[in-house]
Amino acid sequence: MTGTGSAVITPEAARAVIRRGLAISAVALLGVAAVYVLALGFTPTEARQGLAQKIFYLHVPAAWGAMLAFSLVGIVSALYLWLHDPRLDLFAESSAEVGLAFSAVMLTTGPIWAKPIWGTWWTWDARLTLTLFLFFLFVGYRALRAAVGDRAERARYSAVVGIMGLLLVPFVHVSVYLFRTLHPQPVVLKPSAPSLPWEMLRTLLVSTAAFTLLYVGFVTTRYGIGLLAETKGGDDAA
Amino acid sequence: MPPEPPRNAPYMIAAYLVTAIILLAYAWSLWRRSRAE
Amino acid sequence: MSRLLPRPLRLVLAVAAKDLRLELRSRTALVSALVFAALVLVVFNFARDPTAVSATDLAPSVLWVTLAFASMVALNRAFHAERENAALDGLLLAPVPREGLYLGKLLANLAFVGVVEAVTLPLFVLFFNVDLGPALAGVVAVAVLATVGFVAVGTLFSAMAVRTRFAELMLPVLLLPFMVPPLIGAAQVTARLLAGRPLSELAGWLRLLALYDVVFVTLSTLIFPAVVDE
Repeated sequence: MTGTGSAVITPEAARAVIRRGLAISAVALLGVAAVYVLALGFTPTEARQGLAQKIFYLHVPAAWGAMLAFSLVGIVSALYLWLHDPRLDLFAESSAEVGLAFSAVMLTTGPIWAKPIWGTWWTWDARLTLTLFLFFLFVGYRALRAAVGDRAERARYSAVVGIMGLLLVPFVHVSVYLFRTLHPQPVVLKPSAPSLPWEMLRTLLVSTAAFTLLYVGFVTTRYGIGLLAETKGGDDAA
Repeated sequence: MPPEPPRNAPYMIAAYLVTAIILLAYAWSLWRRSRAE
Repeated sequence: MSRLLPRPLRLVLAVAAKDLRLELRSRTALVSALVFAALVLVVFNFARDPTAVSATDLAPSVLWVTLAFASMVALNRAFHAERENAALDGLLLAPVPREGLYLGKLLANLAFVGVVEAVTLPLFVLFFNVDLGPALAGVVAVAVLATVGFVAVGTLFSAMAVRTRFAELMLPVLLLPFMVPPLIGAAQVTARLLAGRPLSELAGWLRLLALYDVVFVTLSTLIFPAVVDE
C-alpha cells in the first residue's frame, strides 16, 4: 500500500470530522442567509446602478472563495510533491470540489450582473475571463482525477496540474489586461465607485466572512467524507 | 434633479436565487454523501 | 555522439533524436497533423462570406486556431507512438536524469510541431492571399515564442495524459487553458504585424510571451520527474 505518513484513522474519527464540517457549514449558511437580509433590506441601493448592483455582495465573495480554494489547491499540491502525505492530496481534492461550487456561483452571477451593468451577458474583462479559466482548470483537475485509477499516481498527477494551474493565473490576468488596454470596451454604467460608502463595505465584509466560513465548512465536510471512504478501504474516486 | 435608478430588480432576484440554489444543492449533496457511507 | 559536447547535453540530444526517429518512422502523427491543418484552413475559407469579411481581418485568428489544434494533434500522436512501444519504461530504467528526458522530449516535440507550422504557414498564405512580406520575420519570431510555451506544457501533460483513461480527451482538456496566454499574444502580435505595425510597438506582448516560456519550461522541467517517478 503506497502512501506513508497517513495515520490509520477510525470511521468514528472520520465521522466526527464530517459532523464538525456540517455544523460549520450550517452556521455559515445561516450567515449567508443573514447576508441576504442585510444586503436586500439594510443596505442602500446604488443610485446609478440600481438594485442589480446588489449582486456584487454575492459575486465578489464567491470569487474570493473560488480564488482561495484554487490557491490552496496549488499550494497544498506543491506541499504534497514535497512531503508525499496523502492527507494533503485529500485536502487538495476537497478544496477543488468546493472551489468548483464557488466557481459555479461566480460564473452564473457574473453574467447576470454584467447584463444590466455592462449591457452584455459576457465581456472579456479580467474578472469574467479569470472566472472562466478557474472553472476550466477545476473541471480539468477533477477530470484528471477521475481518469487515473492508482491512488498515488492520481495524487501526483493532480498535484502537477494544481501547481501549473496556480502559476497560469497571473499570466491570464496580464494577458487580459494587455488586451483590454488596447481594446477599451464600452461601458453602459460605470461599475462600483472607487470608495464604497460604509454600509456597502460593511455588507461586503460580512458576506466575505460568511463565504469564507462556508468554504471552511464545506472543505471540512468533504475532507471527512474522503477520510470515511478511505476507512472502507475503497478507492475514493472523486 | 438626480436621474432615476434603472429598474433591474429581476436580475438581482435571479442572481440571489441562483446562488442560493447552488450553495444549498452542494450542501445537500455533501450531507447525502455523508449519510451514504 | 560528439565528445565535444558535455554529457548532459549529449543525453538530451540522444533522447530527442530517438523520439524523432520513432516518429518519422511511423509518420502518422506528422501526416495527420498536416492534413488536419489543411482541412481547418479550407473550412475557415468556406465558412466566411468574402464580401462581408475581409481575409486580413480574420487571418490572425484563423492562423492561430489552426496552429493550436494542429499542434495538439501532433503532441497527442507523438506520445501514442511512445506508449505503443512501451518506450518510456525502457528509458526510465536507464540512468538518464529525468529533467534531461523532459528536455529531450521537448526538443523532439518542438522540431515536430515546428515542421507542422512550417508547412501550415505557407498554406495559410496561399489560401488566404495574405501578404506577409515585411511581417514575415516578426510572425516567425512570435510563432517560435508562442510554440515553445505551449509545447513545453504540452510535453509535460501528454506524459500524464497518455497514462490515463480517455487519453485523447484528457490532453486537450488539460492543455487548452495553458495555451490561451501564448495564443492571445501570438494572435495579437500577428494581427498588428499584418497591419504594418513595427515590432517595437509589440514589446509588451513579446516580453509576456518570453516570460511565459521561461516560467513554464523551467517549471515543467523541474516537475517532470514527479510525473514519471513513483
